[in-house]
Amino acid sequence: MIEDYKGILVIGEIYEGKIRPVTFQLITKARELADTLNTSLSTVLIGYNINDMAKEPIYYGADKVYVLDNKMFDPYIAEVYSAVLAKFIDQLKPEIVLIPATHTGREYGPRIAAALQTGMTADCTDLAIKNGRFIQIRPAYGGNIMGEIFTPNHRPQIATVRPNVFKARDPDTSRKGEIINSAPDLSGINIRTYIKDVVKTTVAGAKKIDEAKVIVSGGRGVGSKEGFELLKQLADLLGGAVGASRVAVDLGWMPKSAQVGQSGITVAPDLYIACGISGTIQHIVGMKDSKIIVAINKDPNAPIFNIADFGIVGDLNEVIPIFIDELKKVLNK
Amino acid sequence: MLDFTFTEEQEMIRESVRDFAQRKIAPIAMEMEKTKQIPEDVIQGMAELGLIAPTVSTKYGGQGFDAVTAGIIAEELSRADPTGSIPVFYLVQASWGHVFNKYGTEEAKQEILPNVTKGKWFLGIATTESDAGSDVLGTRTTIRKEGDHYIVNGEKMYISGVREAYTRGGGHITIAKQFPDRGAKGMTMFYLPLQQKGIIPTYVDDLGREGISTGGFTIDNVSIPKHYLVGEEGKGFYIVHEGYEYARGLIAVICAAAGLKSLERGEKYLKERKAFGLPLAKFEALQFRLAEHYTKLSFLRLGSYWALWTYDREGQKKATRFEVSKAIAMAKMFASEWSTQAIDEVMQWQGAFGYTRECTDQAAWRAIRSFAWAEGSKEIMRVIVARELLGKEYTAYK
Amino acid sequence: MKILVLVKQVPDTSEVKFNENGVMIREGLQSILNMFDQFAVEEALRIREKYGGEVSVMTLAPEQAKSALQKCLALGADKAYHISDRAFGGSDTLATSYALSLAIKKVGDFDLIMAGNQATDGDTGHIGPQVAQFLGIPHVSYVEKIENVEGDKVLVKSLLEDGYRMIEVKLPALLACIPPPNFEYSNPSMMGIVKAKNKPYVWLKADDIDGDKSRFGLNGSPTRVMKMYPPPKRSRGEVFTGNYNEAVKKIIDVLKEKKVIS
Repeated sequence: MIEDYKGILVIGEIYEGKIRPVTFQLITKARELADTLNTSLSTVLIGYNINDMAKEPIYYGADKVYVLDNKMFDPYIAEVYSAVLAKFIDQLKPEIVLIPATHTGREYGPRIAAALQTGMTADCTDLAIKNGRFIQIRPAYGGNIMGEIFTPNHRPQIATVRPNVFKARDPDTSRKGEIINSAPDLSGINIRTYIKDVVKTTVAGAKKIDEAKVIVSGGRGVGSKEGFELLKQLADLLGGAVGASRVAVDLGWMPKSAQVGQSGITVAPDLYIACGISGTIQHIVGMKDSKIIVAINKDPNAPIFNIADFGIVGDLNEVIPIFIDELKKVLNK
Repeated sequence: MLDFTFTEEQEMIRESVRDFAQRKIAPIAMEMEKTKQIPEDVIQGMAELGLIAPTVSTKYGGQGFDAVTAGIIAEELSRADPTGSIPVFYLVQASWGHVFNKYGTEEAKQEILPNVTKGKWFLGIATTESDAGSDVLGTRTTIRKEGDHYIVNGEKMYISGVREAYTRGGGHITIAKQFPDRGAKGMTMFYLPLQQKGIIPTYVDDLGREGISTGGFTIDNVSIPKHYLVGEEGKGFYIVHEGYEYARGLIAVICAAAGLKSLERGEKYLKERKAFGLPLAKFEALQFRLAEHYTKLSFLRLGSYWALWTYDREGQKKATRFEVSKAIAMAKMFASEWSTQAIDEVMQWQGAFGYTRECTDQAAWRAIRSFAWAEGSKEIMRVIVARELLGKEYTAYK
Repeated sequence: MKILVLVKQVPDTSEVKFNENGVMIREGLQSILNMFDQFAVEEALRIREKYGGEVSVMTLAPEQAKSALQKCLALGADKAYHISDRAFGGSDTLATSYALSLAIKKVGDFDLIMAGNQATDGDTGHIGPQVAQFLGIPHVSYVEKIENVEGDKVLVKSLLEDGYRMIEVKLPALLACIPPPNFEYSNPSMMGIVKAKNKPYVWLKADDIDGDKSRFGLNGSPTRVMKMYPPPKRSRGEVFTGNYNEAVKKIIDVLKEKKVIS
């Protein structure tokens, strides 16, 4: 019976010994949904030696935090996480489950939905409650169409949400909640996956674009790998990160970890400066929620200008140095 | 009876070639105007896909394709390369590969054709001389038998792919006079490798198709083994026309495709460019011209495929040699003219920019202009059609 | 090694046109083989070349998707399975995965199942993991490369946002593949296209796969699409041409005002 399912559950992700920021973004949004539905909000954390982080979700709005702590959960393995979480969800019976649409979340998440034989909506860009219904909003056809999806007769209703789609609230350390150490059901788990090595490809010291408040991003128009030096100067001045379009990554000018867009990372910084990026729909999907967008492009017809708050038609090699000079004056550097 | 559809297989071929051509050729096409050569990776890509001389039997590395299918490939290459370089590279080898496949000796085919289809060697055609073009009987180059081989002397001019065969390997199917007193029955065809003593290449700076060379060579006492003969002695005049007809059919497709592609660029420009506060596309005079050129070229495209289809029907014994000659001549008669007129119009729309070397359409114009004479002039096409209509006894100039 | 690749035909959304209301025009969009799937097929063919075996491809789609399977055959796959039945109309990812898993059980024991990590139309990335779940086999997503196959194990490179993991997984397993940034897909060769005609092409109907029919198609799909609409648009802001200094100054003023810089 679907009436038996109550409350919202956010699956928290732990990455490199910390709760991933996307978890807090989801909790913040889920709190809003829970208040509308007048229901409770839980978070489940899964990992090994994670008890000292268990309080954090409460600061962002969780009522209860379930902790599934076991040696078997580190490192992360899809078949283990999906099996354990499916059993946990099956017992808890939440009506809504939110999962971060990270590479890992998109790996174990769909298995949970299949195991529970319920509906799942991937990569939501918004969530809402309309007439008591949980509406999941997501782009399709490369961001050319938005769809509103709901799950009428199955529970729980599962959605994955990309990082930076929602903003996390400021943590309130005075908030109270319940922490429940839950013994995970490990029966029948058959591990056939072995992690042999984990390699980081981000450049040491380079700022991650999904956490930056300012992103200076470059595309084909930058012209070369060396051309990105100029963008980095501007980014450094603004305390930001350097991003790239798919083309710039394909050409080997920037690492994949810097790629903004549909097949890369979704970002929503306060300031996004697009340099020599024409603005394919696939790129725009990944950065259109930035607060202010500035575009610099030689081609006056570049689609990027249609979504930019400010555009400069011109050679980025002439415009950026002026930008840097003027900023230095303003910032007294 | 009427069915204007291609087979499922032909549609797949079109899709594959189109995608390849648009990705690998279109972006570098205009660069060939300066580099004067087809990039090696494009040639290798074409070879891997099986686009070089696909008319050759699978036995020798070809695809055994018929003329219509060869036309589909020509069309897609032409749409991707406005400079006409790759279409020429393709059409020459497709046409003369077909001829070699049909008339060459087994030994020569095994030796030469796999190297051609793999993209290593270039296979061309050498009939034209300074004083003999469409009038093949005016050929001065001679061939004479000497023991178990032949000796050739003479000079060829305005030949496509001389540098390619001279530097990469390969050679040209060449025509020469063996029996001066026998007229049309005195011509002999043979394969002439260009990398050998006695061959001295020369080059001409022609107007277009910059990625493939045009030139000539002198032939000084060059010895040709017997097995390099293409067809029997004295049959050259007839075989050369078969090859030319193949090439003319492909040329007609190439012209239609280049013109239609230019009109597509033009349409986009008409919508974007404003004058007197309106997009040019709103000017009725320009609409008329667009519609007229588009209609002419669409008929040209259909007619070209019809001609190639007729060619294939001859192989199935469903059409006669004369029907084929007429159909092909009709297809080629207006091909260059209509296409260059359309491209010229598109250049005009673009004003001063249309007259710069940066403009894609001017390169197309220069390339397509060549087909008014290449592989049989547009005047000869009229002669052929009239001859088929009036009867052989009214053949002009005789 | 018996390999099966799950593929999907998708509309080519790279050159989408919109009507005057900003609604995407779906008519006339070309149908293409999902690029992620094409990569999976090419990777499968490389494995076959190295270790021997057979590569089959499978799709669940209406008849017109035949051209996508034909393309796989033309690229070199050995056999195609096309599951097509009105009963599958309106399937969401769960119902699709369920039907695919039944068909896979039906047609044979595969050592390795591969799929694109996601399709460029729906972009859900559900099918691979869910088929693996229904089959009770392990899977790895974001597989950029199959490093090697040794005995009953395969070593793969799986992407993370900021790096990658080398994962060994026991066969049978499913790999959801993602093309590397510099992936240059192949075009089917002329020879491949001609040969494809004569390769086995197996049609499967709902009756041919044993399973719970109430879980097929729209009825078996938990999710419903309520409505579709064009994405909200950001409006065009101020575009400067010419005097860069003035433009930059003006932009910096606004950034200061909005406290983006201080």
